[in-house]
Amino acid sequence: MAIIDFKYTSPRSEKARISLQLGGTWKKVLIAIAVLLFVSSIALLIASYSAAWVVLGLAFIPVMIVKWYNGELKNLIPVTKPSSIDDVLDSSILGLLSHQPTPYEIAGILGVVPGGQFFAARFGIGSQFFLQFASKDTKDMAAIWQSAWNIKERLNSNHVSPGILIAALLEAMPDQQKLLAHLQLDMNDIYAGIGWYDHLHSLINKQNVPKRTGGIARDWSFGWTPLLDRFGNNISQTVSGGLLSTELEVHADILNQLIKSFDGSGRQNAALIGPTGVGKTQIIHAFAERLLDATATIPDGLRFNQVYTLDAGALLSVAPGRGEIEALLNRILNEAYRSKNIIICFEDAQVFFEDGVGSVDISSILLPVLTAGNLRMILTMDEQRFLKISSSRPELANALNRIMITQTNKQDTLSILEDQIILLEFSQKVTYMYQSLEEAYRLSERYIHDLVMPGRALKLLEAAASFSEQGLVTAHSVQQAIEKTMNIKVGVASSDQDRDKLLNLESLIHERMINQTHAVSAVSDALRRARSGVRNQNRPIGTFMFLGPTGVGKTELAKALADVYFGGEDHMIRIDMNEFVSSDDVMRLIADGSDDPNSLTAQVMKNPFSVVLLDEIEKAHPSVLTTLLQLLDEGILRDVKNREVSFRDSIIIATSNAGADRIREYIEQGYDIEKIEDQFVNELINSNQFKPEFLNRFDEIVTFRPLKKDELVQVVDLILAGINKTLSLQKVSVVVNEDAKLYLVDAGYDPRLGARPMRRVVQKAVENTVAKQMLAGTVEAGGTITITLDEVSAIVSIKQQADSIVTENTQPNK
Amino acid sequence: MFFVGLLSWWYGEGWRGRLHIMANRLAATTDYFSISLLLSTLFAPFRQISAGSVGGSISNQARALVDKTISRLIGAIVRISMVIIGLLVIVFQIIINVFLLLFWPLIPILPVLGLIMTIIGWVPLWR
Repeated sequence: MAIIDFKYTSPRSEKARISLQLGGTWKKVLIAIAVLLFVSSIALLIASYSAAWVVLGLAFIPVMIVKWYNGELKNLIPVTKPSSIDDVLDSSILGLLSHQPTPYEIAGILGVVPGGQFFAARFGIGSQFFLQFASKDTKDMAAIWQSAWNIKERLNSNHVSPGILIAALLEAMPDQQKLLAHLQLDMNDIYAGIGWYDHLHSLINKQNVPKRTGGIARDWSFGWTPLLDRFGNNISQTVSGGLLSTELEVHADILNQLIKSFDGSGRQNAALIGPTGVGKTQIIHAFAERLLDATATIPDGLRFNQVYTLDAGALLSVAPGRGEIEALLNRILNEAYRSKNIIICFEDAQVFFEDGVGSVDISSILLPVLTAGNLRMILTMDEQRFLKISSSRPELANALNRIMITQTNKQDTLSILEDQIILLEFSQKVTYMYQSLEEAYRLSERYIHDLVMPGRALKLLEAAASFSEQGLVTAHSVQQAIEKTMNIKVGVASSDQDRDKLLNLESLIHERMINQTHAVSAVSDALRRARSGVRNQNRPIGTFMFLGPTGVGKTELAKALADVYFGGEDHMIRIDMNEFVSSDDVMRLIADGSDDPNSLTAQVMKNPFSVVLLDEIEKAHPSVLTTLLQLLDEGILRDVKNREVSFRDSIIIATSNAGADRIREYIEQGYDIEKIEDQFVNELINSNQFKPEFLNRFDEIVTFRPLKKDELVQVVDLILAGINKTLSLQKVSVVVNEDAKLYLVDAGYDPRLGARPMRRVVQKAVENTVAKQMLAGTVEAGGTITITLDEVSAIVSIKQQADSIVTENTQPNK
Repeated sequence: MFFVGLLSWWYGEGWRGRLHIMANRLAATTDYFSISLLLSTLFAPFRQISAGSVGGSISNQARALVDKTISRLIGAIVRISMVIIGLLVIVFQIIINVFLLLFWPLIPILPVLGLIMTIIGWVPLWR
């Protein structure tokens, strides 16, 4: 008999079918019959009828059947040495199979068994999915059984679970990769799902085993702890008797290391050092839980010890003075020592080593205790704080047994999330799909910087519960959570509005800036690549160097982009690089947000979905430019705290006036600047204004040419449109005659400053006229003011007047 | 198949499982009454009252010694009492479980025995 055979009449198959029948209402009926027969037999005995004996004897038959069901049938174990597939097939499926099963039948069964429903809910692979493709030919089953057996062997599983059958059905599909891709999955995810289901099963089974916690006399040999009960939190009491174990497989090594720290005669302390979100609290909880487990393998000296965390706030509230708090802490530590079973835990221990709001320096008390090693202590803090304490109090750092905790990798993070979402699902009344866990990992890694894995992924999953779709948290829910909380766009453009905007980006930008079509199409293309999901995800959306004279629209294009695409000009982070002219300024560029909220890294961390405008880049110190290389290359910049700040959702635009005179010369000589762009860039490199390795980092170097007269008239129109928008509140509109516009162009254009002074000239000329007419009462609400050449020339009558307006705005680029 | 399966489990894995259940229950009771813990700390001070070394004058040390001895005595009395209660419960539990273990193989033949008893016609007389 081969493993690919299915025996309908094997004892295990028969038992599976009986189990299925007894598992329903039959079990309850049998219990009811047993009770009825017992009661009847007693009644008959009281009435002295001898028939009572046979009734009593019969009452044991339903009892035996129920015992059999609970003892064997309910969890039908696989045969140790299997000869056919039914020997190892999950009993919930085995009981439902017909004589001649087909893939189609299996697909249908998967819809009603718990394992199949798990995959339907968690992966979106339900019975209906398979019913569309599964064959109805019984001959196809051999391949399915063989595949299932191979997967079982590969995953080292003891039986063929519904998940394994799902994987086998998928493997038999010719288009499996394509089908799974629709669900954002691949076969490895399915194998991970099999492990997840088995793990959940083992957790449930673990809960059914009664816990041994030492019994009623456990603490009789240990002292009372009234002070600790008042100022501390008994972690052991919190975790014992919880629904789920707090111990995670990935923490096993650290937990053993922690136990080892308290074994023997060395210093009885441990300092858990790791960044926020890495799971330090979780480890302490697991440690406390293990100490209370009478079956755990731990040193006798640690057994039934209890872990207390001290609350700095509670201590400070009753003993605000230094002397008072030291006296109180002395009493607490003395109580813990006399009690003989206390481990004191200082969470975020830095608050006990520095004076400040909500913190107090008690290192003078703790140091002798730590050094003597009489009282067991655990301290937790992040690496930065530990380094700070190490430098200020090296003797304290030397007294600690350090245990470094690093953030988890993807596989471990997903395992932790699978465990942790059980509690989240219970409290939030939602179900998380596997895709949501993967997405939470991906997006939190990219956008959440204040925590590390697995904390940040968990935080995102918590937030995603609010965006569940009919109680199901999907990858889309996670995307929405991060989009709403961080005001960014992470998904591929899907709505019609989004698509229209992207396809018509050039015309939308041109609504507020004239010409420079080359630059506009370059940035538009970059955005379309980003939002269609085809760009390199490990770089910024686009990196551009805008070269050209002042007042030709470089900054305006950056603003237009922030407004049109990112949703407002406040999505532009503008850094004036002329403020970073020395090598020391690098630190200011990457300063921590708490020290300098306007540093580049702090602003991008707060608002990653932005246009980053590095204005007048040529004025920055070479060290600053070197710092920016990684940003341009990989979209990552590390801040002073060594945190990765992602620029991968930003557009980086560097502007420069370098070579502006040369551009003008080329234009005057009749060259088309767009055609000689490469030559111009080479000149910039040769003149040492930029290093080639810096310029090469940009996706595109775009040269802006000075605007022509007809384009400047269009600029006047744009400015007028802005003025009309302002006047709309007064229900008045302005029209300027063509000859007046040409006059304004002549008056407002300055070859040094480009079109920039024009705004002030136009505004003064038009606004003054409008103001006079409104005060004179010559215009009423709903009226139109037509401004003629005479009126304009009366205000800006001579060139000197125009120049005086211009000189009010002589500072370039501001 | 039904009855064959039932009986083969009853006299095989079922009976062995009964033994396993019995052992688990005894272990749980032993844990509940902390028997091994109580025995290993039989003369330890109760709740660490008056624990630790005391310096000072001889009268102080003598008072501490008396306190400690009383604490240990109280501890020993409380613990021995609890051990006795625990052992009584465990013995009672063993008797019940051994009876159930021995009664287990008889259960399938109870209907037959009942039929025989009915045919014999014996019933207890209540007056």
